[in-house]
Amino acid sequence: MTDQHDVAILGGGPGGYIAALRAGQLGARVVLIEKDRVGGTCLNIGCIPTKALTTSTELLLKARRAAEFGISIPSAQPDLPRLMAYKQSTVDGLVSGVEQLLKERRVTLVRGEASLTRPDTLQVTGSDGSASEISVRHVILAPGSITARPPIPGLDLPDVITSTEALDISEVPAHLIVVGGGVIGLEFACIYEALGSRVTVLEMMPTLLPGGTDEALAKRLALILRRRGMEVHTGATVQAIEPAENRLRVKFAEAKGESAVEGERVLVAVGRWPNTAGLGLAELGVRLNGRAIVVDERLATNVPNVWAIGDAVGGMMLAHKAMVEGRVAAENVTGGNRTVDYRSVPNVIFTRPEVASVGLTEAQARANGAEVKVTQFPFSANPRARILGEAEGLVKLVCEAGSGRVLGVHMMGPHVTDLIAEGALAVQIGATADDLAWTTHAHPTLPEAMLEAALGFRDAALHFHTR
Amino acid sequence: MPEFLETTVDKFIFKVATDRYYSSEGIWAQAEGNRVRIGLTDFLQQRSGDVAFAEVKPAGTALAAGDEVAVIETIKVNISLTSPVSGRVAEVNPAMETAPEIINKDPYGEGWLALLEASDWEADRARLLNAQAYFNLMKGQAEEEAKKL
Repeated sequence: MTDQHDVAILGGGPGGYIAALRAGQLGARVVLIEKDRVGGTCLNIGCIPTKALTTSTELLLKARRAAEFGISIPSAQPDLPRLMAYKQSTVDGLVSGVEQLLKERRVTLVRGEASLTRPDTLQVTGSDGSASEISVRHVILAPGSITARPPIPGLDLPDVITSTEALDISEVPAHLIVVGGGVIGLEFACIYEALGSRVTVLEMMPTLLPGGTDEALAKRLALILRRRGMEVHTGATVQAIEPAENRLRVKFAEAKGESAVEGERVLVAVGRWPNTAGLGLAELGVRLNGRAIVVDERLATNVPNVWAIGDAVGGMMLAHKAMVEGRVAAENVTGGNRTVDYRSVPNVIFTRPEVASVGLTEAQARANGAEVKVTQFPFSANPRARILGEAEGLVKLVCEAGSGRVLGVHMMGPHVTDLIAEGALAVQIGATADDLAWTTHAHPTLPEAMLEAALGFRDAALHFHTR
Repeated sequence: MPEFLETTVDKFIFKVATDRYYSSEGIWAQAEGNRVRIGLTDFLQQRSGDVAFAEVKPAGTALAAGDEVAVIETIKVNISLTSPVSGRVAEVNPAMETAPEIINKDPYGEGWLALLEASDWEADRARLLNAQAYFNLMKGQAEEEAKKL
């Protein structure tokens, strides 16, 4: 192949395919190289299939509570083959949708693996074994991330699984042990718990959801999970996984001493690593920070015309963060001059209850030297949450003390992964608590909790009081 | 086991432990060497309802008497609790994170909130109510509440 492309994008995950679509929209001739299916981790083995599973398991639990809502459902049970089929058909439908979009934007999709031999030359090994070279003007690296493998003895034992295997449920283990109380570990903990597994979570840090989640909310979530019967250990360091008859034994150390727990399956979910090996980056002189590619605010690497986005550049490893970076990089390679505004990147966790946040936590805001006022409102005082029978949780606003400017929004409760969008907008445009409070929110809806929390800034919440 | 003063108001029994001091808001304070343990009175916990969550200011927080030391959340209401003494939070009852409903079960014992490093306990104590004085105040408050029902 000769120089017929303006931009080559390595990796067709949410960052890469969005970059391809946007660059195509801007008139660039784009080639997208993907070794597997488009959509990457997120669409194939991450966000999307897990959300299919959380949707199904929530339905299961709701159906079991049907009598509370005056509906008779004799016995709701999971049907695992159908559950897997629903999950897979959802994924497949979205993958083919992305493929269709790429076609419409005239993006050339190459199936294979690529490495950089020069800043403008890619060596591609096709999925069929064929070798080819692609010359381009710009390269956007979007290789994503891989499951982190901590140095724990016993990691290679059968039935020690990663999130990828955990998605494939042919039977429900009697006892699932989850190593890692972050977003991935806890989402699976809630899915398997709903399907009937006893679940134990082992988190090394002192609170669940380490790395940016409001500490008070993380502690509340731990309490809610424990009250429901989940075993949650924080400050627990896993030492080894070993076979124990037909089960696995996980040894761990916590403040009160050493302990062990046995289960049928162990899910190791301790995070993800940038997938930057084998791309020829070191040879080319692309600067790395550990495994992560170093980029400037326009997402350029230190090598001219080589750009990088998504999980491979580190930071928040989130699909929507990769997507916005994909848009920014696509605009910059086509002559634009854009930077990413990370302040309004929300974080969403599909546990039961859900957790979502955007902007600064109270602790971060204070550490930045801001004088803050924190105001919160519980879903127990929100009529819609009561109707839904999901009144657990709260909305918390972190505001600048004088102006009321919203610095951060932290939520736990029903549909907060949707509700956080309003918080993201508030942070992005620099809205104040008064702006939110004087925006009429429809009644009876969950977003009224946001309005009430905002009223709290002037100590004027109407459906709740602190005495 | 402490001894209690006890009253029944409209079928509710309220107890006041005789071995400690009280703020008029219903927070007890008990000196242990140079530290002071604090918690909710039986009346305050009953009046608040079932505790769902408790957020206590973390160890290290400096407080003046009257500053907010904790917020407890019940089905009915969020209740801001003020410190009866000045000083620094030395220790938070770990049960506040794992089982805060202990406040309802054992307000004068296992349900304590925090241990404070008091900066001037003698001055605080002089301002606080003794058990009998709080008992009288609480009884009046409980009777007022009962009339509203």
